[in-house]
Amino acid sequence: MPVIQFREALRAAMTEEMERDENVFLMGEEVAQYNGAYKVSEGMLAKFGPRRVFDTPISEAAFSGLGVGAATMGLRPIIEFMSWSFTLVCLDQIVNNAANVRYMSGGQYKVPIVFRGGNGIAHQLGATHSHRVETIYARIPGLIVVSPSTAYDAKGLLKASIRCDDPVIFLESEKMLNETSDVPDDPDFLLPIGVANVEREGSEVTVISYGRTMQRVTRAAVKSLVDEGVDVELIDLRTLRPLDTATLISSIKKTGRCVIVDEDYGYCGMGQGIMASVYKKVFDYLDAPIGHVHSDEIPVPFNHYLEDAMMPSEEKIIAAVKEVCYR
Amino acid sequence: MPSEITMPQLSDTMTEGTVVKWYKKEGDKIKSGEKVADVETDKAVMEMESFESGTLAHIVAPEGSKVPVGGSIAVVATSKEDPQQIKQQFTAGAKPAASIASASKPGASAPDSPKPDLSGASSVKPQVEAQTIAIAEPKTGNGDHSVAGRVFASPLARRIADESGFDLNAITGSGPGGRIVQKDVVNFKPSSGKPGASAPDSSSEKRPVADVSMFAPKLASGTKTVTAMSKMRQTIALRLQHSMQQLPHFYETVDIDMEALVGLRDRVNAQLEKSGVRISVGDFVAKAVAMALVKNPILNSHYNGQTAEVTSYGDVNLGMAVALENGLIVPVLRNIDKMGLAEIRVRSGDLVDRARTQKLKQDEMTGATFTVSNLGTHGIRQFTAIINPPEVAILAIGAAEKRPVVRGDEIVARTIMSVTLSSDHRVVDGATAADFLKTLRSLLEEPGMMLV
Repeated sequence: MPVIQFREALRAAMTEEMERDENVFLMGEEVAQYNGAYKVSEGMLAKFGPRRVFDTPISEAAFSGLGVGAATMGLRPIIEFMSWSFTLVCLDQIVNNAANVRYMSGGQYKVPIVFRGGNGIAHQLGATHSHRVETIYARIPGLIVVSPSTAYDAKGLLKASIRCDDPVIFLESEKMLNETSDVPDDPDFLLPIGVANVEREGSEVTVISYGRTMQRVTRAAVKSLVDEGVDVELIDLRTLRPLDTATLISSIKKTGRCVIVDEDYGYCGMGQGIMASVYKKVFDYLDAPIGHVHSDEIPVPFNHYLEDAMMPSEEKIIAAVKEVCYR
Repeated sequence: MPSEITMPQLSDTMTEGTVVKWYKKEGDKIKSGEKVADVETDKAVMEMESFESGTLAHIVAPEGSKVPVGGSIAVVATSKEDPQQIKQQFTAGAKPAASIASASKPGASAPDSPKPDLSGASSVKPQVEAQTIAIAEPKTGNGDHSVAGRVFASPLARRIADESGFDLNAITGSGPGGRIVQKDVVNFKPSSGKPGASAPDSSSEKRPVADVSMFAPKLASGTKTVTAMSKMRQTIALRLQHSMQQLPHFYETVDIDMEALVGLRDRVNAQLEKSGVRISVGDFVAKAVAMALVKNPILNSHYNGQTAEVTSYGDVNLGMAVALENGLIVPVLRNIDKMGLAEIRVRSGDLVDRARTQKLKQDEMTGATFTVSNLGTHGIRQFTAIINPPEVAILAIGAAEKRPVVRGDEIVARTIMSVTLSSDHRVVDGATAADFLKTLRSLLEEPGMMLV
């Protein structure tokens, strides 16, 4: 398998699907002539031409609405957001329209659209450009929320998302784009949506994470813990909605302990949602309350050190895991 | 006004207690009568209930701290008070007066004091109403564990204990706040004789053939150990030294022919076979002692040297010395003189079992009017016991064994049991003691007389 970057995996997924299906097209700010703000779409304008890869005005509400309309009419748009933080101005298009048209039209219209871009804290972007939007969307029936943590996952999940007939919120991170991994070049390589990946099997404690957090700190923390002799089972969620509760529940039942790690805020955050989804089913199997490592409840500081300090760290994860293991 | 929880006097010899475990933490609501802590006295670990309702504002005595009787161990805020403010008040140096005043009292509870003083045991102010204040929980998120008398255990630990047939009450928790967690249950070894334990009793079947560890010296040659005496050991030392120094003991021994009684016991047990109750020789002896005491009430007395008074009791509360691993304890079978043999067997068996696991309640260890100590099962033929004041006598019971005795002019083998009565000569004279032993002997040698 070729080793490629996360951004190359995204590009390969889009390119392959656009080659496969002429209804698929890409739009967004600077995706075409500038080859993408983060060079994800590099070369795609040259390859597919300005009808299928085009730049939009700086108005998320306008072009996301355009995308929803195109999708209801039978096209399969991919919309790149420079940052998911900017989608706070187009919530109406995503939450009201994309998520609900299929339901409210009694199934006459479907909305096969992928919204993708960088989510979360991506190093000194300041409070307003560092939002973690997963709970905003993962709580909306009608939406699918996907969050890959490797180039491999990015390709398989993005291709599956483009082929999906419902609107998909595809959460990347600017800080993951240079990450590399083995990625299949098979044009039909797909990863199923709604299925979590047990990355490491273990017997003592289940650690659940996803996306950028998984890549930034969780894997390293788990490695340290395993080196110390803590037999961790590590689960990468991959999809946040629909949540793969079956995998989580069977894992927690096996280990009796669980820690969830995410970069969201704690209160009403993704981790609490996950926790609430499994608690009842695993209660009798738990040896300790489920642990949760999340960001501090403050606006994201611009200052590098403060930004770092507010986020989950390897140390915080290790401490939380040891706490539930009574070590 | 906030009220204090003080160290109660849980036994008549107790001068201080150790807070072993808190079931509540600061900020928890407590109700009057609810279990709040475990307190280790000189005799046992006992539950302490709150006499107050309110919010536990301040723990003065954390786990492990020793507090004199009457000393403050916690402060309870009423529903109208802010517990955090109360805590600040009490930690700012405003030491509650009561704790100091009564802390100097230990000498007062001299061993001769005739009855256990329970009424003044702690600062009882049960007037505070149950309250519904909702103060923000402290950061530890375990505020949901506030039900009275609950064992804190993780659901997993609870399930494993359930599946293994273990009693959670017998397991010590190592988690936060004493929570029992998986490893506590997995590592738990039920004590023998504890019902419900599913661990098979392998001792009789699978004894290792060549296990020589039992022959190893308990202390390696050239080594020595220094061990701090436990509270119980210290109490035993203090009280028995006092008794031996202050009480003029004298001893009378009598040999009792047990043939008739042993035969009667066998016939009774044959009748009782279906009931599962097996009467022992010791039960007959206890019954006979009680009857002999009713007939000789001077031996069923307490002596108070300070008032020069002897209090004789119309009921027999029989203390029965029970050996523990490192000490002894005397559970009390109250009103044994009113009981039949089966009841004596069941009740004394229960008391002895719980004495061995230190699960006796306070009133089951106090108030004895006479004590028996039985080393017969240890193969001791005859010994003398030290009186447990304020009692005035104690009976040391040896083994019932076949001995050659003279009947007529013949030497015959008979089952003989020697008992030795230790008496306090300040109260009891030699002839009085002899009268008691004579009564006892006639009851045991002619057990039909117990029916008369």
